[in-house]
Amino acid sequence: MTMDRRSVLGLGGAIAAGVVLAPGMYLVAAPQTPSDAPKDPAESPPPKRWAMLIDTTKCSASCTACVDACRQENNVPLFGDPERDIYWIRKVELRDKGLRKPPVSLPVLCNHCENPPCVHVCPTAASFTRKDGVVLIDKHRCIGCRYCIIACPYKARSLVYYKTKPPANTNKAVPIRAAGVVEKCTFCVHRIDNGEPPACVAACQGAEKGAMIFGDINDPQSEISQRLLTVKTQTMRPDLGLKPQVHYQGI
Amino acid sequence: MLSEYSVVEGRSGHFFRILGGLALLALMGVGAFFYIEHHGHAVTGMNNQIVWGLPHIFAISLLVMASGALNMGSMSTVFAVKQFEQFGRFSAFLSIALLAGGLTVLMLDLGRPDNMLLPMVYMNFRSMFTWNVFLYTGFATLCLLYLWSMFEYKQYKKFIGTVAFGWRLVLTTGTGSIFGVIQGREVFGSAITAPTFVAASLTSGTAIGILLLVYAYRNTDRFMDDRLIFGMRNALIFFMMLFAYLLVVEKFTRFYDPASYDVQIWILTGSWAWLYWGGVWGVGVIIPLLLLFNHSIGNRVGGITLASGFVVAGVFCFVGHVLLAGQAYPLDLFPGYAVSSPFLDGVVGSYTPTLPELFLGLGGVGVSGVIFLLGVRFLRMLPKQGVAPEGWELPWSP
Repeated sequence: MTMDRRSVLGLGGAIAAGVVLAPGMYLVAAPQTPSDAPKDPAESPPPKRWAMLIDTTKCSASCTACVDACRQENNVPLFGDPERDIYWIRKVELRDKGLRKPPVSLPVLCNHCENPPCVHVCPTAASFTRKDGVVLIDKHRCIGCRYCIIACPYKARSLVYYKTKPPANTNKAVPIRAAGVVEKCTFCVHRIDNGEPPACVAACQGAEKGAMIFGDINDPQSEISQRLLTVKTQTMRPDLGLKPQVHYQGI
Repeated sequence: MLSEYSVVEGRSGHFFRILGGLALLALMGVGAFFYIEHHGHAVTGMNNQIVWGLPHIFAISLLVMASGALNMGSMSTVFAVKQFEQFGRFSAFLSIALLAGGLTVLMLDLGRPDNMLLPMVYMNFRSMFTWNVFLYTGFATLCLLYLWSMFEYKQYKKFIGTVAFGWRLVLTTGTGSIFGVIQGREVFGSAITAPTFVAASLTSGTAIGILLLVYAYRNTDRFMDDRLIFGMRNALIFFMMLFAYLLVVEKFTRFYDPASYDVQIWILTGSWAWLYWGGVWGVGVIIPLLLLFNHSIGNRVGGITLASGFVVAGVFCFVGHVLLAGQAYPLDLFPGYAVSSPFLDGVVGSYTPTLPELFLGLGGVGVSGVIFLLGVRFLRMLPKQGVAPEGWELPWSP
């Protein structure tokens, strides 16, 4: 069988059109909503919005259970170089400059802001916000420019200055560490996705009086929602308008 | 009236010594890059409080100077200052060379330089850095087109030169905005930062242009009418006064806000105050202005080049002060409270640069220098004679 030039071009065009259009046709033909989804979108449960509440009246200066648990859970090493050590969470001592209030000790971690400046400035969108409000860093996309560290008003981010090897008791649920990349608290995303609280919160409830609680503020029945409604809380630097999601009680 | 252009012969030992020296600087920069890459950024003086250090000061200074180096071209093409038209090629090419050096340092200091092409693939258009990727590549392209139009297609020169002039203002606004738009840090976050960077670029670009022109003409036995340098001196004085004015206005506006007293007093008296008073004001403004306004020094080419050297060093200090003081001042986590922690909260950040950083930064200077030297060696960048137009009189002298 021989084909003239017009037939070859026509056949080629048809194949090309098929290749281009087929995925789109498949998408159009595919069911757009799962069969068990509610028909009225208004009935859909709102997405989760994770937040933390820290009752500073229950947090003692000598306790570092949350910091230790975080290091253990997320394989965060201590290099013995205070200026370059990595801190996903640290204990901060507050002293009233007017000396009217007693000193306060509290943990400070990434605030998983609703308007995160780190996400805003990241040139490669390596820093991003999940639908449930957790701010994460894609280590494969981070170029180590450190603009996010400059932009974060809470000093929540650290650059990995030293090359490290995973410790013997590595928690394999957490991505391995890469030198030259910025990292920070993930709200223990690998745990909350499995229905567990972040390691710091679990440790706090075990070791101390349960100063930290964690939950979904979009669920009005959750403990954190109830507490936020009934007690006076504040966030760090509310004047910046970042809508941080770590709330403090008792300051 | 305007003389023809010629290449620098580049056969002398002097030429090769400079070329070799600059190439050595560039190689040392490459060596420093591999050293830092191999050992991690722990071998630099940078830490989790001061995350941008000496390499960034070199890089941003070179980028600021790059946009300023276009001054001579812009003055002739956009503002019809005809006596500088002959230096248009030199001006556009110097911009490209300085831009290349600055960007090289910026790229090689990344924590993950192997990912340096990712900003071209994944773009966050809300990031000032992403905008800068476009601003820098666009500026380099415009400078090349401008150069090309000056060489071959003079009918496009006016249009491309005007676009390049506008672009360079936006470019330096973008560079200054890297700091100016950050609201979370008390020292940064001022709308005047970006215009101050533009003034710093006008100042340092003119100064580096004067230095290189005088050096090139002296060492290639070319004639240069001193009045041309005096004209550049007058422009330099004007730009420096603009720079000083913006520095004062920035302090005035910040001091007018009572909430800024603490941080502003710290800037004027704290651990980096020596760089502000000695570097930015002393070296960058007061000493060069005194030199240029002096009747005998300001009317000598040697005196003007000396003042230009001070200006370049002063703008380096300005960039250094913006970066280092801006990062060193501790974050105010809970206003009204003094804070302390093992992560050094509440402590003024310390920073001592190390040799690898210095070499990496100087490597950028080497890259710029090698590109510039090879440019004047192989392309006809410089006029055989620097002559003033007939009947042109210098409007003012000290």
